[in-house]
Amino acid sequence: MSVLSHGRASRHILNRLVEEAPSGPATLTDDHRRSLSARFRAVSSEHHRRLDAWMVERAGAPSGPFRWSPSTARRAIGNAALRRRLSDPALSSVAAVDAELDEQLLRVLDGRARSGSLAVFLAQSAPATRGLIGAEAAAWATELAEAADGLHFSWSVAPSDAFYDVATARTTLRGRRDLLVVRDDERVVVRVRAGAPGKSAGPGLRADLTIDALADPAGVAAARMIGLWPEAGVVLSVDGTIEDLRAGARDLVRTAVVLQRHRLTAAA
Amino acid sequence: MTSLLDASPSVMDAMRGERGSRPPANTTAAAGLRATLEDAIYELLGPAVREVPLVVRASSLRHGEPASTSDSPVARVRGILVVQALRLMSVGFDVERAFDEALVAWRAEVGASELTQAVEHLSDDDAALLRSEVEAHCVTLKRSLGVVATHWLPRTSQRAHQRLAGGNVVLRDVVDLMVGTTASEVASVALLDVTTSRLEEGTERAMRYHALVQTLRTGVVPLRTSAFSTATGELWSSDVDDVLLTRATADVLEVLTSMVTS
Repeated sequence: MSVLSHGRASRHILNRLVEEAPSGPATLTDDHRRSLSARFRAVSSEHHRRLDAWMVERAGAPSGPFRWSPSTARRAIGNAALRRRLSDPALSSVAAVDAELDEQLLRVLDGRARSGSLAVFLAQSAPATRGLIGAEAAAWATELAEAADGLHFSWSVAPSDAFYDVATARTTLRGRRDLLVVRDDERVVVRVRAGAPGKSAGPGLRADLTIDALADPAGVAAARMIGLWPEAGVVLSVDGTIEDLRAGARDLVRTAVVLQRHRLTAAA
Repeated sequence: MTSLLDASPSVMDAMRGERGSRPPANTTAAAGLRATLEDAIYELLGPAVREVPLVVRASSLRHGEPASTSDSPVARVRGILVVQALRLMSVGFDVERAFDEALVAWRAEVGASELTQAVEHLSDDDAALLRSEVEAHCVTLKRSLGVVATHWLPRTSQRAHQRLAGGNVVLRDVVDLMVGTTASEVASVALLDVTTSRLEEGTERAMRYHALVQTLRTGVVPLRTSAFSTATGELWSSDVDDVLLTRATADVLEVLTSMVTS
């Protein structure tokens, strides 16, 4: 049975949720991967599909084109800044963000940044815009560090989101993850979102759980996927059971179907 | 409540106060406050789920005051730009051309909106007036704010969104500047609301509201809630305690009652 747990943000809430996560998460086998691939292949697509939990939560409803802004840049820079702070605890969030911004600008100077990337956006932004991005990112890093502060387990900032290319289905799945917590030899994943969770937050969390498991070379799911909404002070979590993974996969395929319908309607 | 004019000590010093005199962090009050609000809202609205929630904001708490010039679009832009300047100052950005820099930052944040369009279409006289007003307010802010030390963990435009009574009521809030941490064993979080208007009775209610919503959001009672007027250079600051939070819940319920009965 799939269970979505709901809690209020409080001190040490993450620690409690990590401690209470059930052991022995499910594992996705090659058969599971082949089955998922077949389901996605059945949903034809002229273009390469990119799906994530946000699209699942919006039930495939089209959203506007992505544009870089201080609020869309804050997570990437804030997470990178917190990673710097973990390796150099003397750094403040603001100093770590400044170092990260400098690093991004250096990538542009060295010719290592591609068009449309965050680094190019930063380089093309006015100093005041970069200042605002710094303020947003420092706030993000501070909130994330505060959430993780009470953890009695080893934790790190996720090196990147989880990506999984579905074989021969022209589909890439992207799973959001911010903190990785290690308990014994299992992992618990924390992902942070702005705003407040809507009615479809559970399916979104399950989609991220499933993508994270698919991205794991051995297919092992996280013991628990925790969604944290600091603005709402709400924490939701789903466990790494086979039922939750199946539900996540089903929702991703459904979203692909709805997206395809939208495209066909728009083309007609 | 403490009231300081042309903040001396600086706004930041007044907000942070004496480190040794901070009370232990109160991590138990939030549940009681939420229960009080839930019970009272149930009595007010009943069990039915509303199609559209009642949304309370800090501005809702100013309902008793006469209509102010700060409600005009130009005054709103002035307030937004001063807060943008505060955000830049909080991360050590040296704000020299306050209007231009705040405007650039704001446009990058919101893209094209009704308000940004309104600024585009201002007459030369109105644009010059807005520029000079923003510059003047920012001079007051810069002079009074003091140093925002990075180890105080400054966070600007902190949003909060609290659903109550199954979503029938939503408390929304944005705190202009927050410093301190909820992870400390002593109360540490200080909240600052910056306004380009004068400080009035409604300001005090808004200060209490920020403290209440922050308590509900994090589960930890803040140390202090403050408001600073860039119009007068005046700072109001209150320690957050049970009495203040109880008054804040009463303020919210009063607003909700007036929403339901109007």
